Amino acid sequence: MPGVVKPDLSVRLGPLALKNPVLTASGTFGYGLEFEPYLKLDELAGFVTKGLSPRPREGNPPPRIVETPAGMLNTIGLQNIGVDAFIRDKLPRLRERDTQVIANVFGETENEYVEVCSKLDATEGVAAIELNVSCPNTDEGGMIFGNDATALGTVTAACRKSTALPLIVKLSPNVTDVRVTARAAVDAGADILSLVNTFVGMQMDIERRRPVLKKVSGGLSGPAIRPLAVWMTWQVHQAVKVPLIGMGGISTAEDALEFILAGASAVQIGTANFVHPDGSIRVLRGLEQWLADRRIATIGELIGTGHPKAPA
Amino acid sequence: MPRDITTAVLANTDLGDGTRLLEFGAPEMSESMRPAQFFMIGIPGSATLLRRPYSVCGLPGTFEGRPPGALQVLYKVIGRGTELLASLAPGAPITVLGPLGNGFSLPGDTKTIPVFVAGGIGSAPFPAMTAHLSGRFPKPRMFYGARAAGDLALADWFAEHTELETATEDGSTGVRGLVTAPLGRMLERSPNDKLKLYVCGPEPMLEAVGKLAVERNIPCELSLEAHMACGFGVCLGCVVPVRRTGDEVGYDRVCLEGPVMDATCLAW
Repeated sequence: MPGVVKPDLSVRLGPLALKNPVLTASGTFGYGLEFEPYLKLDELAGFVTKGLSPRPREGNPPPRIVETPAGMLNTIGLQNIGVDAFIRDKLPRLRERDTQVIANVFGETENEYVEVCSKLDATEGVAAIELNVSCPNTDEGGMIFGNDATALGTVTAACRKSTALPLIVKLSPNVTDVRVTARAAVDAGADILSLVNTFVGMQMDIERRRPVLKKVSGGLSGPAIRPLAVWMTWQVHQAVKVPLIGMGGISTAEDALEFILAGASAVQIGTANFVHPDGSIRVLRGLEQWLADRRIATIGELIGTGHPKAPA
Repeated sequence: MPRDITTAVLANTDLGDGTRLLEFGAPEMSESMRPAQFFMIGIPGSATLLRRPYSVCGLPGTFEGRPPGALQVLYKVIGRGTELLASLAPGAPITVLGPLGNGFSLPGDTKTIPVFVAGGIGSAPFPAMTAHLSGRFPKPRMFYGARAAGDLALADWFAEHTELETATEDGSTGVRGLVTAPLGRMLERSPNDKLKLYVCGPEPMLEAVGKLAVERNIPCELSLEAHMACGFGVCLGCVVPVRRTGDEVGYDRVCLEGPVMDATCLAW
């Protein structure tokens, strides 16, 4: 069609510039390289690594996952290779890719968070750090920090001091008022907030009369949580000034646009990566098409515009 | 390298008692696929979110008279995912990711007798394996067990292509009881045969046969099954406990390090 220009998908999230708004969510994208048979990492704005802890973790005993209506529960327990192996074995290859590597950081204690942040800060090839203070599946750390505004502020401030990299705090939805933890993270120095992590839930095996998951509860993800996540994105957009990354059950461009209109400057694709390994690219292509069809020149002009303007 | 394709159902045959054979065209995969590798199969627009793993049952040449480039999957209707699969008529679209995982390896040498141990729907990988070994290794000895005669859907096929012994828990055909009994008797009477065990079935059977093999120092590969979200190594949902160095136990992925694992590696 003459006169149609490719829409500009680039977005800026404070210190983090992205060529498009599509990232992939921690725990659904391994260390990125696993997806190379299925997609070009260079096409993605970036991806978030599996949560990295100071030392390797074997994770929780199985069964770890179960499908639920329009979603799934998982209790992986932060199985990961550890920050040192990530820097040594994964990062050199990732540096050759034209995509932003966002390292998700997990610790059982404040010192462990700081230790991982410092190591990542001292290396090259990491674009930003996302603090996992919202994992519902570990006995220590994770959600223990994310559910208490004071603890969240303390750990965020400590990590802030340990790195000059853009700092993203990933919020837990398992709170009474997500605006309270959002403000605490921003006050402690978060540049960007990402939301939401999974909702705690469980499923029963009625024949065995026991929980399906070995660790009883798990984190719910997938389309089932999308309206909840859009609502929290909406609320947090009104509560804080920093840029937001929205996630929760996104598998199409239309899903992503809901978050963008609610106030997210970028989105993360999670469970959809399991369904189709190129699920993130499908969302990206869909966004391009959606904007082109409506002759919208830049995606940036849509961010937060679902909110009614305050009367003058 | 795995591919993620949309293809059409060619046939979806009822073999009785809830066991079915699904056939679809996938020439992109049929060349490189090996017995006991698997696919993730999904139905576009279906009410389930995640695809389900299915072991390859038939490769080109396994079953006579099938179209070139067609692959077969054996499944039993047990839940929502398999119910939806059973409802598909020829021509219906499915999405298929594969080939995934590591298949069975060959017996150590051409004198080694392959011994197949299958429980119910765990018979799925053995037709492809039988065809794969045919003419190069001795005829396989097959021990095929299930709850009842109706669950031994491929008994006729195996009777023709292997030295078959069947066992049913209700005694409706073959030996009454578990398949481990006739297997144990065979091992007793053939101490001088070079054997390699290939096992697929319910977890208690895998554990029993795996332990038997380890005790007797017989090479033994187990094809495992697990719930998995992705099938290609990233969800970490399908892990099983394995021995690391010394007494240390860790978790390996059924989808990537498996589904075939050596019996000596597993920490039961």
